[in-house]
Amino acid sequence: MSQYDLTTRSSLSPGSGRPAQLADVLERVLDKGIVIAGDIQINLLDIELLTVKLRLLVASADKAKEMGIDWWEGDSFLSSRADGHHSLDQRLRRLESAAGLEQGEAGKE
Amino acid sequence: MIDVARQTGWYVYGIVDADAADVERKVSTVAGLGNGEIRLVREGSLAAVAAGVPLAEFGADALPERLNDVAWLEEKARAHEEVLQSVGADTPVVPLRFGAIYLDLGDVAELLRTRREQLVAALERVRGRIELGVKGWVDRPRLERVLGREEPRGTASTGRAYLERRQTERRHAEEAAALIGDVAHEAHGQLLRLAVAGVVNRPQPRELSGRADEMFLNAAYLVASDDTSLIAAVGELDAAYRRLAISFELTGPWPPYNFVEGVEDGE
Repeated sequence: MSQYDLTTRSSLSPGSGRPAQLADVLERVLDKGIVIAGDIQINLLDIELLTVKLRLLVASADKAKEMGIDWWEGDSFLSSRADGHHSLDQRLRRLESAAGLEQGEAGKE
Repeated sequence: MIDVARQTGWYVYGIVDADAADVERKVSTVAGLGNGEIRLVREGSLAAVAAGVPLAEFGADALPERLNDVAWLEEKARAHEEVLQSVGADTPVVPLRFGAIYLDLGDVAELLRTRREQLVAALERVRGRIELGVKGWVDRPRLERVLGREEPRGTASTGRAYLERRQTERRHAEEAAALIGDVAHEAHGQLLRLAVAGVVNRPQPRELSGRADEMFLNAAYLVASDDTSLIAAVGELDAAYRRLAISFELTGPWPPYNFVEGVEDGE
C-alpha cells in the first residue's frame, strides 16, 4: 500500500479524493522544501508584481498581528505550552458551564 | 547573450534514493510541469527527480513574468506537488522548493555531489514518514457570543448602560483572543507529543484560505506513515472544541515539505 494512503484507516480521511486547497499547495511548494540555488535564480520576494494573494502568504505577519494572532512568532510558543495546560482546561470548563454548555453536549450549540 | 542552441533547462522536483525501485517508470506517466519526460539523475546513492522544461517558459528572462500569472503559477505549483506525491507514494523523497532549474544535466549531478551530506540527512529524516497538516479555525463572532452568555446583558438604554455594554463586549473580544491563543498552544502541544516533529506556520489570511472562519493554527507534523494516532487526535480536538465555535481540519498526507529545510549534516 502507498505510504500516503491513509484513507482506509480513518474516518477522518485526509485527501479523500478532493484536490488540495490551492493555498496549502502554494504555501508548501513556494515557501517550504529545500532551497537550491539553481542556474536560474528566482526570488519570490523580489518579484514586484507578485500576485496580491501570494504577497499575503509571504507577508502576512503584520496582518496577523492586527488580528491578534501573532503568538506563533518567537520562542515563547513552545516554552509556554506546558504551563498553560491546566489553566486552559479549567477556564474552558468554567466558560462552558457559564455558557450552559455541559459536557457531552457538543453539537447542540 | 542569446544561445539559440539552448532551449531546454532541467527542473528538479526532489531527491530520492538512487536505487528507488520503479520510480522512473512510475513518474514517466505523470505530466509534470514541462513537456519532457521525468527522469532520475543519479549520482552515488542519491538521485534527482528531474525533467526538461522549455527555457522559453522557465528561463531567467521569462520566469519573472510567468510567476505573476496566477493561472500559470497554480498549474505549475500543482504539477510540482503531483510529481512529489507520485514519487513519494513509494519511496522517501526530499522536496525541493519550486524553481530549482539547471541549464545542464551535469549541474544537477553536481548539486547531488556538493549538497550530498545535507540531502542524505534529510532523506534519512523523512524515511518512512509523512507530513500531515492541521489547521485550526474559529468563528470569532460566535465564540464571543458564547463567552457573552456568562452574564445577562443589560437592556437599559441609558448612556451608562451603553458604555457598560461596550466594555463587556471588549472584554469578551479580549477573552476570545486569549482563549484562541491558549487553544492553539494546547492543541499544538498535544499533537507534537504524537509526532516525530512539528512546525507552526503563519495562519493563512482569509483572502488566501477563502473561508469565512478565521484560521488561528496552521501547523504541520511529521509522523510515521503507519501511525494514525495524530489523525485520531485531530478528530478528538475537533469534537472537544466545537462548542466554542472552534474546529480543526486535517490535510495531507503531504510529501514532507516542512521537514527538510534546516536539516543539518549528520542529524
